[in-house]
Amino acid sequence: MEWIQDWSFLERGLFAGMVIGFLSPVLGAFLFVRRMTIISEGLSHVTLTGITAGLVLMQVTAVFSWLNPLYTGLLAAIFGAFIIERLRGMYRAFEEVSVPILLSAAVGASAVLMSLVPTSYAEWYSYLFGSILTVRQEDVWFTIGVGAVTLLLMLLFYKELLAISFDQEFASVTGVPVQRVNMVFTLLLALVIALSMKIVGILLVGALIILPTAAAYLIAKSFRRMLLLGILFGEASVLGGITASYYLDVATGGMIVVCGLLLFTAALVSAFVRGRTGLGEERIT
Amino acid sequence: MSAFWTYEFLRYSLFTSMMIGVLAPVMGVFVVVRRMSLMADALSHITLTGIAFSLLIGRWHPPAAAWNPVYMGMVFAVGGSVLIDRLRRIFMHYKEAAITIILSGAIGVGVVFISLADGFNTDLFSYLFGSVSAVSRTDFFIILILSSVVLLLLVLFYKELFFLSFDEEQAVASGIPRQRIHALFIVMTALVIGLSMQIVGILLVSALMTLPVAAAMRFAGSFKQLFIYAAVIGEVCVLTGLFAAFYLDTAPGGTIVLLNTLVLVLSIAVSKAAGKEAV
Repeated sequence: MEWIQDWSFLERGLFAGMVIGFLSPVLGAFLFVRRMTIISEGLSHVTLTGITAGLVLMQVTAVFSWLNPLYTGLLAAIFGAFIIERLRGMYRAFEEVSVPILLSAAVGASAVLMSLVPTSYAEWYSYLFGSILTVRQEDVWFTIGVGAVTLLLMLLFYKELLAISFDQEFASVTGVPVQRVNMVFTLLLALVIALSMKIVGILLVGALIILPTAAAYLIAKSFRRMLLLGILFGEASVLGGITASYYLDVATGGMIVVCGLLLFTAALVSAFVRGRTGLGEERIT
Repeated sequence: MSAFWTYEFLRYSLFTSMMIGVLAPVMGVFVVVRRMSLMADALSHITLTGIAFSLLIGRWHPPAAAWNPVYMGMVFAVGGSVLIDRLRRIFMHYKEAAITIILSGAIGVGVVFISLADGFNTDLFSYLFGSVSAVSRTDFFIILILSSVVLLLLVLFYKELFFLSFDEEQAVASGIPRQRIHALFIVMTALVIGLSMQIVGILLVSALMTLPVAAAMRFAGSFKQLFIYAAVIGEVCVLTGLFAAFYLDTAPGGTIVLLNTLVLVLSIAVSKAAGKEAV
């Protein structure tokens, strides 16, 4: 692994980008069929609170000066996922309100924490919108470690995740531990969001999760195909976005999302041309 | 307290806050009850794209820099809601994905606009998280007029909105023009978001519309009570938050939202103690 140390910032950014370009559409596909894509927005905003809390701890107390805000962000995302579940139970008639509640409370807390520490705007912007220039060596290690764990969990629980995504009741009858698999799924989501924030930033993670998947859905007929196409689109967005941002000198995270948006629009147009507009009747199997 | 009377800009912020402290939760009641709380989040994020676009135009065409970017933000919010409705029809089985697609895509486009306009500076931060010094005299009067319009519309169309929120089919059957009322509702929501964001910022607007309502829901016995509780909670949190932020030197938008969250947590705890598990 000596060679990682010789990487330039661009190579480090490309590597981290390709890892998330692969993982986020996979997660997106599961979220999509479970009709839960909006949760990624809620969790990404909670991650911001974790990051700001980490930075405050780092700067205010001597004990935590070693802390990497990525870890506190990850913790906050996991914590947030469980709060959403609780809130859903409390507002049964208006379940969807649980995401806005968490999202706005999280941003409020972040805003207050941000005003407590004298960190430059540029640094906040790099967490909000991502910055490929700031991918350091330790971030590459974080990406490798967390990426490997995520991939492993996905492979190990693929069948269970598939089962609960399509028919939770049937899955529980056939003996899938639904509660536990749901927990694994939540954990996966938090891991992927924490991974993505260096490159695309908190506010753009959601786009990388949903856009490639939504584009794939318009073309693919089976879940497996949707998964593969989603990964293809995800990687294309990341690579295209990084390249374009390098030559056009614009924000990388934004350019990655714009590439995803272009792919999505192309998929939409092709669906119209092929007369697949009545997608209403089609469900992924 | 005296600072708020001495400095003009603080006085205008205070008046503006007092207005949105009532307006946002009242609008929020309809937003939440019509199950469109996510839509409010999406619209507020799209407003950012409009603001970024306005900044970009101001850079290319200097006379346009004098416009308040918030108005472009409102236009984008309305446009975004049309796109969401379209996408909902395309993704029939997975309707809720439409909001996520537009919400996240919009921020991406916004970020590209901002970086083209070289706008990663202090101004952007106050658009995102709000700032008390952002309200000028002209802004204040525009805000006053627009909020009066929204309140008037709410009173005029109260019956239609109420009916559509609780029994859409019956409402349509009895001749309420659903499409037109819905369009009006979206425009009103976009207006309220645009008005409120000048104080609390884009990322926190939806908090003002959902948190007081979610807290009020734990107690309210009727729709009318829901309005009153939400408006009172909203107003108290906005004013206390504003003063607290001023003296503690924290971000005003964040402080207001944290107070709102605190009230929500308390009301959940109290109503649970009273034996009310879910609403």
